[in-house]
Amino acid sequence: MLTRQDNSISRKLTWMNMLVSGAVLLLACTAFIAYDMLTFRATMVRNLSTEAQIIGSNSVSALLFNDPQSAENTLSALKAARNIMSAGIYSTDGRLFASYSRDLGDQIPEAPALPSDQIEIHRFKNKEVVLVRSIVFEGKLTGTVCIRSDVKELDSSLKRYLGIAGIVLSVCLVAALLVSSIFRKAVAEPIIHLAGVARAVTREKNYSVRAARTHDSGELAILIDAFNEMLAQTQQNENALREARDDLEQRVKERTAELEKAKSEVEAFSFSILRAKEELERASKFKDQFLSTMSHELRTPLNAVLGFSELLTEERYGPLNERQQRYIKHIHTGGKHLLTLINDILDLSKIEAGRLQLTLENVLVPTSFAEVVDTMRSLADKKSQRLLQEVPSGLSVRADPTRFKQVLMNLIGNAIKFTPEGGEIRLSAHEREGAVRVEVRDSGPGIPVEEQKRIFEAFYRLGETDKKTEGTGLGLAITRRLVELHGGNLGLESQPGSGSCFYFTLPVADVVETHEVQTSTMEIRTPEFVRILVIEDDRAAAQLLHSHLTSAGYDVVLCDQPGRALEMAAELQPSAITMDIIMKPVNGWELLSTFKTDPRTAGIPIVLVTIVDQPARGASLGADEYIVKPVKKATLLAAVERCLNHRKRIGRTRPILVVEDDAPTREFVAELLSKRGYVVTTAADGAEARSQVAASLPELVILDLILPEVSGFQLLAEWRTNARTADLPVFVLTSKDLTAEDQDYIRTHAGLLLQKQQPWQETLITQLRRTLPGVLSEKS
Amino acid sequence: MDTLSLRSAIWRGLLAGFPHGWPPLVGVLVALALFGTTGLLAQLPKPNEYQVKATYLYNFGRFVKWPGAVPAGKGDSFSVCVLGQDPFGSILDSTLAGEALDGKPVVLRRISKSQDAGECRILFISSTEEKHLKEILTAIDESGVLTVSDMPGFTRRGGMIQFILEGDRVRFEINVTSAESARLVLSSELLKVAASVKRNGRSGD
Repeated sequence: MLTRQDNSISRKLTWMNMLVSGAVLLLACTAFIAYDMLTFRATMVRNLSTEAQIIGSNSVSALLFNDPQSAENTLSALKAARNIMSAGIYSTDGRLFASYSRDLGDQIPEAPALPSDQIEIHRFKNKEVVLVRSIVFEGKLTGTVCIRSDVKELDSSLKRYLGIAGIVLSVCLVAALLVSSIFRKAVAEPIIHLAGVARAVTREKNYSVRAARTHDSGELAILIDAFNEMLAQTQQNENALREARDDLEQRVKERTAELEKAKSEVEAFSFSILRAKEELERASKFKDQFLSTMSHELRTPLNAVLGFSELLTEERYGPLNERQQRYIKHIHTGGKHLLTLINDILDLSKIEAGRLQLTLENVLVPTSFAEVVDTMRSLADKKSQRLLQEVPSGLSVRADPTRFKQVLMNLIGNAIKFTPEGGEIRLSAHEREGAVRVEVRDSGPGIPVEEQKRIFEAFYRLGETDKKTEGTGLGLAITRRLVELHGGNLGLESQPGSGSCFYFTLPVADVVETHEVQTSTMEIRTPEFVRILVIEDDRAAAQLLHSHLTSAGYDVVLCDQPGRALEMAAELQPSAITMDIIMKPVNGWELLSTFKTDPRTAGIPIVLVTIVDQPARGASLGADEYIVKPVKKATLLAAVERCLNHRKRIGRTRPILVVEDDAPTREFVAELLSKRGYVVTTAADGAEARSQVAASLPELVILDLILPEVSGFQLLAEWRTNARTADLPVFVLTSKDLTAEDQDYIRTHAGLLLQKQQPWQETLITQLRRTLPGVLSEKS
Repeated sequence: MDTLSLRSAIWRGLLAGFPHGWPPLVGVLVALALFGTTGLLAQLPKPNEYQVKATYLYNFGRFVKWPGAVPAGKGDSFSVCVLGQDPFGSILDSTLAGEALDGKPVVLRRISKSQDAGECRILFISSTEEKHLKEILTAIDESGVLTVSDMPGFTRRGGMIQFILEGDRVRFEINVTSAESARLVLSSELLKVAASVKRNGRSGD
C-alpha cells in the first residue's frame, strides 16, 4: 500500500546502509590492496636485488678475466626465475659484457648510469621493473648487472585481490541489505506508519485515529506519543470549534431573523413616515396657499375701503357735514387697524412657519431713519410729540430694508402710542463692537418690571384692562422675531416713571457693498427733479412740509426769511412755491402780490399753507391752491401736483392702463390717477390687457399679478420679449406675498413693485411723476 | 665479446629506447647512423697484450689465498716480482702503482736470481728464463709463491698459471697441483674462467 514516497525513509535507510558499508569496504579493500601491492613490489625488488647480487658476485672473475662465456653461464641460472625477462652484465666502461633473455624477443636492458653514491636502483615502467646493481669486488667497481623483470605476478595477484575484494564487497552489501531490513522494521516502519496516519488526518480531517506504538521507549516512541497527544488535542479543539460554529450559526440565524423583522418594521415605519411627510407637505402647501389667498383676499377689499374712505374725506365730490366726516374717519381708522392686524397676523404666521425670507443688503441707516421718521411724524404730530433722530452719517447695517423699516416703525409706533402728549421720542443708532445698536427711547410712563418679560409675547397688550390704546398686540412679537431673523436681539430697558428704551442690534454692513444702496437711492432720484420752494418762518412747520414734499420726491428748498423770498424764487426758478400767510416781517398776502407782480416769478404756481381760513382772498391775490393747517400730506401733495400739472403746456393723449381684476381697487386706482390729471384706461383681466396693449400702446401699465386666466407674470414676460413693448414702463401693484425670486424677477423686468400690504399710493404717484414727467391731462 | 654481438646488443637497446609508435623509418635512419659509429669503435686501439697480462697478474692476486704462515720477509708488502727480462716495460709499474693486495701495498720488484724469489707472492717468470725453469721452480718450491709465465709448456713443467693467446684474446691455464703443492688456494672463480685446469702436471683439458 506504500507508495514510492511512503517508503522513502525506508529506501533512504537502505541506501544509507549500503553506501556506508560499500564505502567503508571499498576504502578498506583499497587500502589493503595498496598495502599488499606495495609490499609485493618491495619483495619483488628485494628478490631481484638478491638475484643481481648473486649474479654480480658470480660474474666478478668473468669480468676481471674477460670471460663473457662464464658470465653468460652465470646469467643462465636466471632461467629458474620465470619472471625475469632479460638480464645483462656491463663492464665498467659501459659495454655489454654478457646477456640473458628469457624468450627470444626479450630485449636486453641498457645499462643505465648509476649515480656514484648508489649501488642499486630500480624503476617500474610499462608493466616491467628494471633493476640495476653495481658489481663491486673488494671495494672496486667491477661492472654493472641489470635485470629486467615482468610484473605479471604483481598483476595476477592484483587481479586476485580485486576479485576477492569484489566478492567481499558483494557479500558485505548483501549483509548490509539484510541488516537494513532490520533497521527498517525498527525505525522506518513506525515513521512510515506515522506519516501515513498524519496524511490520513490531513486528508480526511479525522482526528480520532491514533498512531500505533511499536516501541516501549526511545525517541520514536516519544514522537508517536506526542503526535497522538497532539491529535487528541486537535480533536478536542475541533470539537470545541464545531460546537462554537454550530452555536454561531444558530445565533447568526436568530440575528438574521431579528434583523429581518426589524427591517420590515423599519420599512413599514419609514413608509408611514413617508406618508406622514407627504401629508405634512400637502398640509404645508395648503397652509401656504391659504396664507397667500388670505393675504390677497383680505387686503383687496380692505384697500378699497381705505382708499375710498380717504377719497371721500378729501371732499372732492361734494362737501361732507361733520358727522359724515367723522363716520368716514371711523371707517378709515377701523380699516387701517384691520389692515395692520391682518398684516401682523400673516407676518407672524409666516415667521412662525419659517417662510419669511429676508433679502439682506447693505442699508444706510440715516436713509431708513429719514423715511421712517417722515412716515411716523404725522402720528407724532397728532400727539404733539417730538420725534428726534440721531445717527452718524454713512452708518449702514446688513438687513432687509423693508423689514428694517417695519421694525423701526413698530417700535416708534409703540412709543408714540404709549407716550403722553407733548412727550419726546428719540431714535438713535451707533456702531459698537462690530454691530449697530439701534435705540428707540421715549419719555413715557415706563414699563413695570413684572411686565417687561411678557411684553414680547404675542397678543399681550400693555395695560390690558384700560383699553385706552389700540393695537393688535402682535407688533412687538413680530418685531422681536424679525430682529432675531436678522441675527440680532431685541431688548428693553425701562423703569416706571422714567420712560422706556427698546433697543436692538444688527450686524454692520459689508463695507464693499455700501455703494449699492447709494445706487438704488440714485435710481429713485431721477435727474428730472422738480424743485419746490417752501417759505415758512416756523421751523417745525417748515420741517413738516419739507418732509412731506421730500418723501414725494421733490427737491425742497426752505426759506425762513420772507424778506429774501422774492430773490430766492427769482434765482431758483422753482416749479412751485408753498407759502405761509402769518410771517414776519412781511406777511404772506404782501409776499403773494409781490410774486404775482414780479415778471420773474409771476408764472410760478403758489400754494398757500396757512391757518388763516380765507381761500377767497388767496384766490383773488393769484394763489393757485389754498390749504388750511393742519396740513395733511395727501392734500398738500395733491395740491402741489395740480399746480405742477397746470404749469405744463405740453399734453399727451396716451393713457395709463390699469390692469386689475378687483373692480373696487380698479376704480380706486383709476380715480387716484385721474384725480392727479392722468388719462386712465382699465382692463379687468389679462386677456383684455393684452389686446388693449396690442391695439394701442399705453404710456404706462399698472399691473396686478393675480389675474384670471392670464397672470401678470405672463403678461410681463410677453411684453418684455416683444420689441414693441420691451420699453413699456410697467408698475406692478399686488397684494400677493412674493418670494425673493419673484421680487428679483419683477425688479428686473418692471419699473416699480408696490405691495398693498404697505402704504403704496404716495409711492405710486411719486414714481409716476418721475417716470412720466411730462404726461399731463388736457382736461385738468 | 665480438663486435657483432655488441652491435646487436646496442641495436636492441636503441630500439628499446625509442618510444612506442615511432615510425620504423626513423628507427632505421638512426640505426644506420649508429652503425657508422660502431665502425669507429671497432677501430679503437685494443689493449696491448702485455697491458692485459699486467692486469691479469694483479687480478690473480685477488683470487688466490696464501698460506697463513707467510715468511717474515714478505710481511709488510705484497711483492710482485718479474724474473728475467721484463716484457711489460713500464706498463706493469703503472698498473700496480698504488694498488694493494691481501691488505698490503703492492711492490713491484725485478729480480734476476731465483734465490731472490723467496720473498715474492707473485712471480712472473720471463720466457728468457726458460732454460733455468727447473732450477727456479725448485728454488721457490713450497715457499708460497704464485708462479706465472707466458712461456709455452709452463704448467706442464710445474708452473702454476700460464698465459695463452686464443686469437688476440689473452687467456690462461692453471696447474692446480702445482698451486696446491705450494699451499696456495685458487678461487673457484679463477678456475671457472681459466682456459684449462691441469692436475698432476697433466693437462686437464
